[in-house]
Amino acid sequence: MGLLYGLIAVGLALIFGLMDVTNFAHGEFLMIAMYLSFFLFAFFAIDPLLSAPLVAAALFIFGAVIYLLLVRFAMRAKANAGMVQIFTTFGLAIVMRGLAQYFFTPDYRSIPQSWLGGKTISVGGIFLPEPQLVGALVSIAAFAALYFFIHRTDFGRAIEATREDPGAVALVGIDKNRVFAFGWGLGAALVGLAGAIMAVFFYIYPDVGASFALIAYVTVALGGFGSVFGAFAGGIIVGLVEAVTALVLPPSLKSVGIYSVYLLVVFIRPRGLFGSM
Amino acid sequence: MDKDFAARRRRDLIIAAALAAIAALTPLFVKDVVVQNIMILTLMYAGLSQSWNILSGYCGQISLGHALYFGLGAYTTELLFTKFGVLPWFGMLAGGVVSALIAMGLGYPFFRLRGHYFVIATIVIAEIGLLLFHNWEWAGAAMGITIPIRGDSWLKFQFLRTKLPYFYFALALCCLAWFVTWWLENSKWGFWWRAVKDNPEAAESLGVDVFNSKMGAAAVSAFLVAVGGSFYAQFVSYIDPESVMGFQFSLLMALPAVLGGIGTLWGPVLGAAILIPLTELTRFKFGGSGRGVDLIVYGTLIVLISLALPRGLLSLFSRPKKTGVAR
Amino acid sequence: MTITRREMLLGATATAALVPLAARAQTAEVVIGVIYPFSGGSAQQGVDAQKAYETALEVINKDSDFDLPLAKGEGLPGLGGAKIRLVFADHQADPQKGRAEAERLITQEKVSAIIGTYQSAVAVTVSQICERYQVPFLSADNSSPSLHRRGLKYYFRASPHDEMYSAAMFDFFDAMKKKGTKIETLSLFHEDTIFGTDSGNAQTKIAGERGYKIVTDIKYRANSPSLSAEVQQLKTANADVLMPSSYTTDGILLVKTMAELGYKPNAIVAQDAGFSEKALYDAVGDKLEGVISRGTFSLDLAQKRPMVGKINEMFKARSGKDFNDLTSRQFMGLIILADAISRAKSTDGEKIRDALAATDIPGEKTIMPWKRVKFDEMGQNNDADPVLLQYVGGKFVTIFPPQAAIAEAIWPMK
Repeated sequence: MGLLYGLIAVGLALIFGLMDVTNFAHGEFLMIAMYLSFFLFAFFAIDPLLSAPLVAAALFIFGAVIYLLLVRFAMRAKANAGMVQIFTTFGLAIVMRGLAQYFFTPDYRSIPQSWLGGKTISVGGIFLPEPQLVGALVSIAAFAALYFFIHRTDFGRAIEATREDPGAVALVGIDKNRVFAFGWGLGAALVGLAGAIMAVFFYIYPDVGASFALIAYVTVALGGFGSVFGAFAGGIIVGLVEAVTALVLPPSLKSVGIYSVYLLVVFIRPRGLFGSM
Repeated sequence: MDKDFAARRRRDLIIAAALAAIAALTPLFVKDVVVQNIMILTLMYAGLSQSWNILSGYCGQISLGHALYFGLGAYTTELLFTKFGVLPWFGMLAGGVVSALIAMGLGYPFFRLRGHYFVIATIVIAEIGLLLFHNWEWAGAAMGITIPIRGDSWLKFQFLRTKLPYFYFALALCCLAWFVTWWLENSKWGFWWRAVKDNPEAAESLGVDVFNSKMGAAAVSAFLVAVGGSFYAQFVSYIDPESVMGFQFSLLMALPAVLGGIGTLWGPVLGAAILIPLTELTRFKFGGSGRGVDLIVYGTLIVLISLALPRGLLSLFSRPKKTGVAR
Repeated sequence: MTITRREMLLGATATAALVPLAARAQTAEVVIGVIYPFSGGSAQQGVDAQKAYETALEVINKDSDFDLPLAKGEGLPGLGGAKIRLVFADHQADPQKGRAEAERLITQEKVSAIIGTYQSAVAVTVSQICERYQVPFLSADNSSPSLHRRGLKYYFRASPHDEMYSAAMFDFFDAMKKKGTKIETLSLFHEDTIFGTDSGNAQTKIAGERGYKIVTDIKYRANSPSLSAEVQQLKTANADVLMPSSYTTDGILLVKTMAELGYKPNAIVAQDAGFSEKALYDAVGDKLEGVISRGTFSLDLAQKRPMVGKINEMFKARSGKDFNDLTSRQFMGLIILADAISRAKSTDGEKIRDALAATDIPGEKTIMPWKRVKFDEMGQNNDADPVLLQYVGGKFVTIFPPQAAIAEAIWPMK
């Protein structure tokens, strides 16, 4: 589970951390991705595992479009940029939920059968559910790819440079909007991937994103803004802490464990574990 | 302080008094309880948002966890009332003091955090509070607390049908929050906050003083919000963790200020006056449809307003020539 | 002051002659407020409820030959055939909004009664407002036992509450034990809102009284992103019976997680809610063969009362779903309320209240497996017998109590 939190979080980390834009609609991106894989399954009988790249691609476009249509303007705000971003994306989240309810109805959906659904591998008495296992593998792969992308390619450096000094970058001839639209697309694609895998074992309804959004924010902040590796580590820590807390405290308090660990970490290291900002 | 600034402050005070007087008279003409209900909520959120604005607007410490103080106010009042028979008026005060103390206790570690780290810490602490109350059997856990209704009583601050006492209390709360803000604007604290916002590094030299002033802002802000919380509990006469400490309250306190103009004297009032009736009306009109139309309308408006007017609606009225003079 | 018999008779005839006329003239329609969550996490229940009420409305307002109160003839006979109109309001699961909507419906829409609300927390504030305005509130589908114990005069509930449901489950266990089935240990698994807490408390209490051992009592956070840790604990405890009290979302996740972690309990006896929702069985029905849920409604009642099947078809035409435990109660709730208004021959709150208090509908004239509908002084119908249903071969069959059962329980479940 921790790795999946990580995968959701890393998409957010890209948007939130690397580009320093608050995205309160991240949970709703996840919701859209889950609906997409559900409909691909329901109408074309494409297994979520196969449709995952499709969903990721669709979300990439969606994320880029959202950036170009909305976020671009929110970032341009001269005053209170932080608040404008928070509330623009928050409003967007509400609209997306409303639209989902309008078009998809509020019914709970879920994918009854798939290649992975409900199958488990038993290793020495420990049950490892296949969907989560595949999710974990995909997460690791995605992290590795993203890490490489950010630190080893020109484009990754361009994103970072653009955040730090948009003016200077413009002088070198990099179009800020193109870079950021790509970054948003990538962030959304990652959450799309997470959504496709989660659709296998989770239920889907318009408000589903809300359960994950806060944990994703905490994960990103725990790992530290600006660090992809941090989000990855944050995800694993959150997953572990959750499991341990549920054993020690009544399970209804298990999030308290996650939140307390976050507070503890930032009190000691105000920039998260691996944060650079 | 130069003359312009002083004149503007005097003018603000006169306008506020006039508005309050007009508001106080409206129940003479408005008898409809539904409209009265909207007015009460509007005034309450204006007051809450004004209080939030002290810490988050003026001080620049954006908190999305003020629901914690709202809930603490509500719970302190009602636990004291239902378990020990302490009258809500004292409970209200107690709730305010508890919240202010907690706010200062939290402020100590929290103010070291910056930006997103601070915002997320505030969200998280309110969530922890929510979960704890959810699991606290003695405080009713998920069942919440039903306030026993024994008929109209000023002493117990409960009324069966008439809404006027609630209305005047909400108005008083709103005026109080406004007046505190007005007073702080011209205080030593207000000066430091502006300095910190404009230039954090330069303000470092003020060091301890600034830190203390932030603690003060947190305490004042939490106190007022907690009073709002106990008012809400008396008004609704039933509380459960979700309905007084949920994340939506943190947002609802911030939204009016942001829409109206964050860090301004009039922003929260203006924002609440537009936002709250709007939410209620969209729900009346579209809420029964079951298709989420109210959400679409509401969300779109938030997006549009925050994009079109980043300084808030108030920026429509401000005359550009005078800005910056006071600094 | 003395009144002669003649005068009294005269007066009586005069009023008797006048009332229907006046009623006909004044009340061509009776407005009833319906308060549900139409947006947010439980919007689905709100939308389903809307369909159930519209079905009931059709039965009342149009002529039909079902053996239900008000089915024959159009409208309310007691009010000269006045039609019922429903006004729907959205409370978004927020007690404050429920309160405001109730007040708006009463003062602006001039509703004669209110019905709702799905969430028990909202029922608390809505019923308080109704009490203040002396407008009857019929709690169609709230099951929290604390609701009717607040001494409200205008509160009525025709369906059972969680203690009655839980008692039925334990009656069932007792009966199974007599037949030699081993049922000693229980695992409780309930969510942390008012519904799960109430249900968990009731089950703990009765288990203690009847000597069952609760080996794990897990209270989990509603809409949790993951239930792995919780299910792991259930698996370790491995009780004879797992008793979940969950809404649809958590129910789906619970069943999926159980399958993933390889936990197969001997028996699941669920506290309705999610476990009576079509969505849950669409999602994970294949893993739930043999699950038992309490309920107040069962479609196999149609074998004994054909009208149940016909009304279900009417509902299905609107919603695409069969009646479930919630929607059947909502349907019945409106019929009961409308019947009282018709007998009150008035839209006055106090008169409707008195008529509701005098309600006595035999079980055969409902679509429910109840003995009858009759409210006690707290407004609770104690004759609403819960049933236990088992999910077998893609549908529910009644297995308990014996007089309503059409099949033997399959134990352990597959």
